[in-house]
Amino acid sequence: MESQTLKSAEPVIKFALLEDILNLARANSLWPMTFGLACCAIEMMAAGASRFDLDRFGAGVFRPSPRQSDLMIVAGTISKKMAPAIQMLWDQMPNPKWCIAMGNCAISGGPFEYDGQYAIVPGAHLIVPVDVFVPGCPPRPEGLIQGFLALEDKITKGEDRNILRRFHRKGGKS
Amino acid sequence: MAEQFQEPVVEQIYTLNLGPQHPSTHGVLRVLLDLDGEFIVKADPVVGYGHRGHEKMGENRLYKQFIPNNSRVDYLSGMIYNHGFCLAVEKLAGIQVPERAKYIRVICSELNRISSHLLWFGTYVMDLGGFTPFLYAFDDREQILDILDRVSGSRLTYSYCRFGGVTKDVDWQFLDMTASFVKRLRSRWPDYHNLVTKNVIFIHRTRDVGVVTPELARQYGVTGPNLRACGIPFDTRKSEPYEVYDRFDFKVPVGSKGDALDRYNVRVEEMEQSCRIIEQALDQLPKGDFINGDAPFKVKPPKGEVYFAFESARGQTAYYLVSDGSGYAYRCHIRVPSFGNLHVLTEVLKGTLVADAISILGSIDVVIPEIDR
Amino acid sequence: MAKKDEIVQKLRTMLPEDAVSADEAYKAGVVFSVRVPLAKLRDAASAFNEAGFYLESITGLDFKDTAELVYHFNCYEPKSRIAVRVLCGHDQTPKTLVDIFASAEWQEREVRDFFGIRFADNPDMRPLLLPEDADYHPLQKTFGIVHAYHTREEIYG
Repeated sequence: MESQTLKSAEPVIKFALLEDILNLARANSLWPMTFGLACCAIEMMAAGASRFDLDRFGAGVFRPSPRQSDLMIVAGTISKKMAPAIQMLWDQMPNPKWCIAMGNCAISGGPFEYDGQYAIVPGAHLIVPVDVFVPGCPPRPEGLIQGFLALEDKITKGEDRNILRRFHRKGGKS
Repeated sequence: MAEQFQEPVVEQIYTLNLGPQHPSTHGVLRVLLDLDGEFIVKADPVVGYGHRGHEKMGENRLYKQFIPNNSRVDYLSGMIYNHGFCLAVEKLAGIQVPERAKYIRVICSELNRISSHLLWFGTYVMDLGGFTPFLYAFDDREQILDILDRVSGSRLTYSYCRFGGVTKDVDWQFLDMTASFVKRLRSRWPDYHNLVTKNVIFIHRTRDVGVVTPELARQYGVTGPNLRACGIPFDTRKSEPYEVYDRFDFKVPVGSKGDALDRYNVRVEEMEQSCRIIEQALDQLPKGDFINGDAPFKVKPPKGEVYFAFESARGQTAYYLVSDGSGYAYRCHIRVPSFGNLHVLTEVLKGTLVADAISILGSIDVVIPEIDR
Repeated sequence: MAKKDEIVQKLRTMLPEDAVSADEAYKAGVVFSVRVPLAKLRDAASAFNEAGFYLESITGLDFKDTAELVYHFNCYEPKSRIAVRVLCGHDQTPKTLVDIFASAEWQEREVRDFFGIRFADNPDMRPLLLPEDADYHPLQKTFGIVHAYHTREEIYG
């Protein structure tokens, strides 16, 4: 093992290679939970269907149960009636877990956010900690796939240590 | 052995909560089921998990600012809703539409109807357990989305129709792609029929399941393919023809028993009839303007109201607009077909098995954000 | 005779002279528009039920001086939509139509959610679209951001 500079809140002994392998395994077999709320759910289904295959990234098995999944894709507008359910589903998911906010509604309320809006929660980040935001209304399936690849980069801790990924984001750091 | 078996003394009703998060092909629906063993005693759908306040937004938005909202009410027939809203405002404000624009809008609406039925077909059979038709149906659907994407810029939620016409004209490539798509889809019918319609498991899971009688349909305001499966040939495109639908020759498919198999057959036949409408529209497409240049940018209809009904993929939809003479609507009410289609389930699900409940829920083709608006 | 003419004939016997106004050109999407007083609502609805109509939608309208309920009935024949307009004060409770048309249950729940108009004898007055503990009525013109708040005269004359 190589010795590394210690940063705060990190384990004292770091098994760098094992963590790398584990993160690689986690990133390449993300199991999303089917959590389509509105229109973005259809593009999520299209991303999992025949043309824009999500299975080639290891993320093709959509699990209906939160206990068996490690990725929650919030796809669609969050209404105030639905918000407690989202909190409960997030709490039910076992660690390690990640969240992608798909679509403008999940990022900031989208086209429904205006001064007199009474019915929605303007953004998923107000309820659950979001890792990747995928903008669009709805985002194209290719956009969702780019979000997946960005999340995989984030899981494997950025592309300077990730020699197997060919996907680059300008600027480098996740 | 038989003498060791004891009858249970007390019958217990078990309440099962179905949703709001479940393999979501329908949106966020929650059904409270009271079960006696495997049989459903009472079914109580709880809606409202997708309420976004469209009707309040209709009063707070100019008419042209409300156009993006329409596609998001029912995102599977987004073009049809967009088309219907523009027709409603044009009727209220008295805006003329050139002929070419009318035909273009009808072609795009019918393509949208086919794509909605294809998605329903794929997800319904997936609900019943078969994964392959889902992939084939989505492949066909992607062809439609390519066509509509080229001309409107969006795959799912369109703002293509505007007051007085459409945003962009269609070119020869659109006409070419549409004609070849219709030919390709027709060549796929034998595949779908061999895979699904003649499939013994599918027939057993849908025949005599979820029977909706005509009287029940009338009581609950059921419209669309669910009503036509009961035997009543009611289609808004025939009873109140709008745009240029009265110039086309198409049949209204009708079932006989009102079970899930009839609803399936009606929708598959409707896809074929939509292909016929598209072919005739492509033949009759005239040259001309694609938008009425005199239509005002900020529409201010005169005082009054209009109730405009059209046929979406789910049934009879209507926009009820009340105008007070300003640029903002005073009341914008949307009558959605899924409202009645879902409500009838409180009657139909009584006495069925839980597995049949999934089949019935899938066969009525509801989109929950439409109910919640 | 077409169903719409039959039912209008029947309604004319129940209601005062000027209650029914016809619109043959179908300009507003209805072929007849009928003004029904609140007390006669259930009788009119029963007549529609016997004639084979279905209840298409119930819409609420909020004005400064009154509230209005618009019931749209339609049958399976071409161009047969009839609108029934009922004026009802902000504090009045109209009678429910649940035992006549089953779809009225959810429609009335929605009107109650949005406008606060309670319907007497409706067996289920839980909120339909709003959260269970909601105590606000969003589509009232005194809620949230509103661009116009008129009396009924200003719009319908």
